[in-house]
Amino acid sequence: MTINPDEIILLQWGWFTINSTIFFTWLVMFLLTFGSWLVTRKLTSEGELSRWQNLLEVIVQGINSQIREVSRRDPGPYLPFVGTLFIFIATSNILAIVPGYTPPTSSLSTTAALAICVFIAVPVFGIANQGLVNYLRQYLQPTIFMLPFNIIGELSRTLALAVRLYGNIMSGTIIVGILLTITPLVFPIVMQALGLLTGLIQAYIFAILAMVYIASANQAQQEIVKKGEK
Amino acid sequence: MLIDWYTIIFQILNFLILVFLLRRYLYGPIIRAMDDREKKIVEREEAAAEKKAEAEKAEEDYRRQKEELEEQEEEIREKAREKAAEEKNELVNKAREEVGETKRRWEEAFEREKETFINELRRRIGQQACQVARHCLEDLADSRLEELIWDLFLEKIADLPEEESSALQEALASDDYKVVLHSAFDAPDEKLDRLSESLQKAVPASEGKISVSAEVDQNLVCGLELDAGGYRVAWNIDSYLEDVEEQILDELDQSAPVESSEEVPGGEEE
Repeated sequence: MTINPDEIILLQWGWFTINSTIFFTWLVMFLLTFGSWLVTRKLTSEGELSRWQNLLEVIVQGINSQIREVSRRDPGPYLPFVGTLFIFIATSNILAIVPGYTPPTSSLSTTAALAICVFIAVPVFGIANQGLVNYLRQYLQPTIFMLPFNIIGELSRTLALAVRLYGNIMSGTIIVGILLTITPLVFPIVMQALGLLTGLIQAYIFAILAMVYIASANQAQQEIVKKGEK
Repeated sequence: MLIDWYTIIFQILNFLILVFLLRRYLYGPIIRAMDDREKKIVEREEAAAEKKAEAEKAEEDYRRQKEELEEQEEEIREKAREKAAEEKNELVNKAREEVGETKRRWEEAFEREKETFINELRRRIGQQACQVARHCLEDLADSRLEELIWDLFLEKIADLPEEESSALQEALASDDYKVVLHSAFDAPDEKLDRLSESLQKAVPASEGKISVSAEVDQNLVCGLELDAGGYRVAWNIDSYLEDVEEQILDELDQSAPVESSEEVPGGEEE
């Protein structure tokens, strides 16, 4: 029983190592990309929709509406980033019901990597939206003394994001493992079903939080602009 | 060690690649398809709205045309009604005129008949009166009426006033001194001789030139009439008969319908 899928080495060639996390991540990536390609190569904008196109449209539309609700602005620029976070995490978690599959999200490395992406994405989107100077000025709000706390806040929420996802998914896997030793029949299935639910919820939470962080950075800026106008 | 930096970097790269791939194969096409569909729906709605507007316009046109037609129809009907009324009036007037004309004609015919009747009556009455007078004279004076008439006639010629005699002379001269005597009875030669004598007395210039011829004229009823080149000297019982006539005509007028004497031109009695 290994807690960390990073330590399951599938292939090693010199320093180049393919561990379980990376392998299953690739698998998920392949499934998502190939599936999308299969569906989107024959899209129609008229007449009857294919079932798969309809599914994808529902998903994309859902993500879009969520982004719009959180950020109160056009979801266009955020969709690829936030949407991919959600779809990747959700797919990784849902596939946990497949025997022999280890969700990449149960590796702290993966969740940390995603958190780092969010951590970077927040300033990137902020700067893209309002320019470098305006974005940096945000850290000096409301006074210059708040700078360290602002930086700590930024870091801590990235950490929290990473650990939350990791904990949830990893714990799901571990709980199933423990339960299997205690009650080998029936009960682990219930827990696994519950795991599916928590997996989806985690995907949703992760994506929404990422969006909230990105949006909050912009909103703070908007408030500054408003003050300046006054 | 829970965090493996090697894996983290790998995962970051993986994630970025996935973002790119999904953007290329998922979000792009799907968003495009949805936008397309939305656009088409909007287009369809616009087209539908346009068609609806067109339909409404057509309906409006149709309604207006219908109203116009109805108005025209009403106008035509009104005109027809007026024309019919006019025609009716014309016909009534025509009928009235025709009736008037018929009435007038009838009245004229009536008048003519009346006249004819009166003439006939006059003649008969004259004859009757003449005969009555003749019988009376025969019975009373025991002499023939004609002789008396002759006496009176000759006297009249003899006593012609001055202007009359000169007019008679002119008339005699213009007709070659031919004198025609119209009488109701055969004139005896003796009387004719006396007439020529009287004429010669009255018109001395005609001495020996006068030739008298006699003609019987029943219309004279009873009396004598001298015709000399348009000049007339007469004695007959016309005057008496006229009195009788007048009286009879008066009687007839009173018994004739009143309106006949109003409108009818030329209906006056002689």
